[in-house]
Amino acid sequence: MTSAATTATAPKLADRMRAIVGPTNVLASPSDLVVYECDGFTIEKNKPDVVVFPTSTEQIVAIVKACGELGVPFVPRGAGTSLAGGCLPIGGGVMIALTRMKRILEVNYRDRYAIIEPGVVNLWLTNHIKPNGYHFAPDPSSQGACTIGGNVATNSGGPHTLKYGVTVNHVLGVELVLPDGRVVQTGGPHEDNPGYDLTGVIVGSEGTFGVATKAWVRITRNPEAYRTLLGVFESVDDATNTISEIIGAGIIPGALELLDSLILQAVEAAFRFGFPLDAGAVLIMEVDGLDAGLDQDAERIVEIAKRNNAREVRRANTEAERLLLWKSRKQAFGAVGRLAPSYCTQDGVVPRTKLPEILRFIRAVGTKYNIRIANVFHAGDGNIHPILLFDERDADQVKRVLGASHEILDECIRLGGSVTGEHGIGVEKIDFMPKLFSPEDLAMMVRLRSAFNPENRCSPQKMLPTAGACIEQSKAGRHAAM
Amino acid sequence: MPTTTHIDGFGPLSMTTPTTTAELAQVIRVAAAGSTALYPVGGGTKLSLGTPPTRPGQAVSMGGLTRIIDFPARDMTVTVEAGIIIRELRDTLAREKLRLPIDVAHADRATLGGIIAANTSGPRRYGFGTLRDYVIGISALNDEGNEFKAGGRVVKNVAGYDICKLLTGSLGTLGIITQVTLKLRPLAEEQAIISLACDADKVESILANLHGSRTRPICLDLLNRLAARRVFDQAHLPVPDAAWVLLVGYEGNADAVSWQVQQLVKEVGILAKLEARVDFTAQPLWDSLVEFAHRPGDELVLKASVLPSAVATFGLNADRDGVALRAHAANGIVYGHWTADASLDRAAETLKRWRESSGTIVTRCPSEWKKTLDVWGPPRNDAWLMREVKAKFDPKSIFNPGRFVAGI
Repeated sequence: MTSAATTATAPKLADRMRAIVGPTNVLASPSDLVVYECDGFTIEKNKPDVVVFPTSTEQIVAIVKACGELGVPFVPRGAGTSLAGGCLPIGGGVMIALTRMKRILEVNYRDRYAIIEPGVVNLWLTNHIKPNGYHFAPDPSSQGACTIGGNVATNSGGPHTLKYGVTVNHVLGVELVLPDGRVVQTGGPHEDNPGYDLTGVIVGSEGTFGVATKAWVRITRNPEAYRTLLGVFESVDDATNTISEIIGAGIIPGALELLDSLILQAVEAAFRFGFPLDAGAVLIMEVDGLDAGLDQDAERIVEIAKRNNAREVRRANTEAERLLLWKSRKQAFGAVGRLAPSYCTQDGVVPRTKLPEILRFIRAVGTKYNIRIANVFHAGDGNIHPILLFDERDADQVKRVLGASHEILDECIRLGGSVTGEHGIGVEKIDFMPKLFSPEDLAMMVRLRSAFNPENRCSPQKMLPTAGACIEQSKAGRHAAM
Repeated sequence: MPTTTHIDGFGPLSMTTPTTTAELAQVIRVAAAGSTALYPVGGGTKLSLGTPPTRPGQAVSMGGLTRIIDFPARDMTVTVEAGIIIRELRDTLAREKLRLPIDVAHADRATLGGIIAANTSGPRRYGFGTLRDYVIGISALNDEGNEFKAGGRVVKNVAGYDICKLLTGSLGTLGIITQVTLKLRPLAEEQAIISLACDADKVESILANLHGSRTRPICLDLLNRLAARRVFDQAHLPVPDAAWVLLVGYEGNADAVSWQVQQLVKEVGILAKLEARVDFTAQPLWDSLVEFAHRPGDELVLKASVLPSAVATFGLNADRDGVALRAHAANGIVYGHWTADASLDRAAETLKRWRESSGTIVTRCPSEWKKTLDVWGPPRNDAWLMREVKAKFDPKSIFNPGRFVAGI
């Protein structure tokens, strides 16, 4: 068992780190450390003893070895946009901030891969390869800030996962520093390396296996064209039925995003796109690919939407209109500030056909707890993101928000879904793991972790429940977008 | 029902066929108590993959676990038992205009659990990826005979470690897969396959052209003369008379497919002789291309991994000694097939030569050759970690001992 540095050992720890990465790459003063006490999940806070900013794999090896000698835990961190407390430094110790390892090491268009360091921001890679007609497919709404190392840790999604998959579908290999300082490369640019798909389990392990210091990622050619449609519906049920029918017709849209009436009001006030404020729901429906096939798909989508009582189906006629529509969607969370002083976003998944049921349930929960709940989410995947509106200065409201959140997630499980589609378990949802998985399932996950991280010194008390480590939640605190 | 079998020349092994998960669990508990080995068997189409078993034990047929558990077609997922035959799965899905877009030879014998364990793929992998992209939930029995699961039944889910990925391609060495949930795709409205016949010196320029093509192929299979003859003969089609044939596949809606066929003619028409087959006329060639993976009479099959940009050079150098070469060119996967005229000495020499410029494994050869040939090749840098994972999952090494990489 590892423990945090004490006031007596912390200065020694900082000195040790300075010796490895140099004094300018270490933070140890309380005022500096406060920035690193939490990520996008703000319920739990704890300062690390030291934050280090390594610039090479070799330095990370030295850092984790020093942590081993001194018996302190460590936790890797990217941009800190995680919404589930993945980079919360439980037990203090060393936080390894990877934001100074931000080089794009290689881009190989002919063989369709790039090699990047973990601190490369998601959007930088896409912007870097855009002139050649390529992009990095995972595009979480935080893509302007989040790092690819963080995407690898949490197996990030985004609006386009229905057609293009999540992060793991685009990671070919990883260089990983294990907690004992050994370095392995799993996978790489060649396909079908013999042996276990270790890359596949490292992605999404939420930093509990080691520190990823390099990744080989697939780069994807840009679609030649888009058809972006906006369906206006009287009810959420009509919108969700439309989604099922589109996919049932054999069309896999690049994106299918649903916004309900409450979120529409906020978005409209912020961006003036021209959303109808009296609609029950709108659907952003986008097909992409070769120009040649798109009109055929778009016409069928219009037909399906009309059959499901769409009041109207608008088309983004210019690229500017399309971009404004997407801006309205991706920044919907920013607009929520117009509705309430505080909000809390949840991340649940249900089978797509259960969307009407879960949305009805969310409405009922909102009424029961007297909390307004807005919805804007990746409907094609069944990945819901209810936004619970409240005022965090009111303790009773906070309690009600937590109660409502838990009921919604429990209902996702009951409907055959999951409590997280893309944000991760972290510390926030650790108590849901025994509801989703049997003791035997969890025991196998512990076995897997012990192959990589036997002493549990790397990101302790994350993802898998540990006896006696339960977090009492008294504040609701997920503020960022997904 | 056979009660004994051989696995890769090893045996005879007694074979049991449990019909429920509880029965299978009991088989595992008995084996674990006596530390005897268990060798799970699906349709038996891939038993030549890997090294021969090292310990006496028992074969376990999965042929008794074939139920469809849940098929919510509108959610585009299906949950089935692992012993289901691919043909049956395919027919069930097709009734709802859905499919698992993974190419499987001998679909009337191969089982889902088997193709997942062996990580089977085929020509469409360029467009649709491999099984790791489709297995979203998995249940298996562990070394104590207890059922464990990972993933779930929804298409997007990041709760817990993705043990689905770990079990996919693990050759049955970490547990026995009992149930699987798959993400599905719609059947394509239209398909086309275009053959481009060309000389050796044109192969790389055509591949490079196709890499930048405005069209988006879902298959780019490159065949040498011998492989082309086999593929076209089996499809009962005239064989293109050329040193190399490239088969370019398209799927999608009717407008997109027909535009792409015309566009391809514009882009590479001057470099090669083109022949397009659309809709049902493309089917025999597709089928034959998929079945090529597993031809009766193949004595030796090597599989090389190179970068896509190296496929042409690698292929041209490897085109000798009576090999039928087929490459999934855009994925950098090259297969060499030799029939009965292969010899152990020549196999060893070829393997050595291939490994100078690729990672190569032996996917099929006579069992006795495996005493000499290094089937999996030199261990990679993460081999020790794989052994560590194996030791945690199966400390007594009862599942398929000795058959996988790094002595696993």
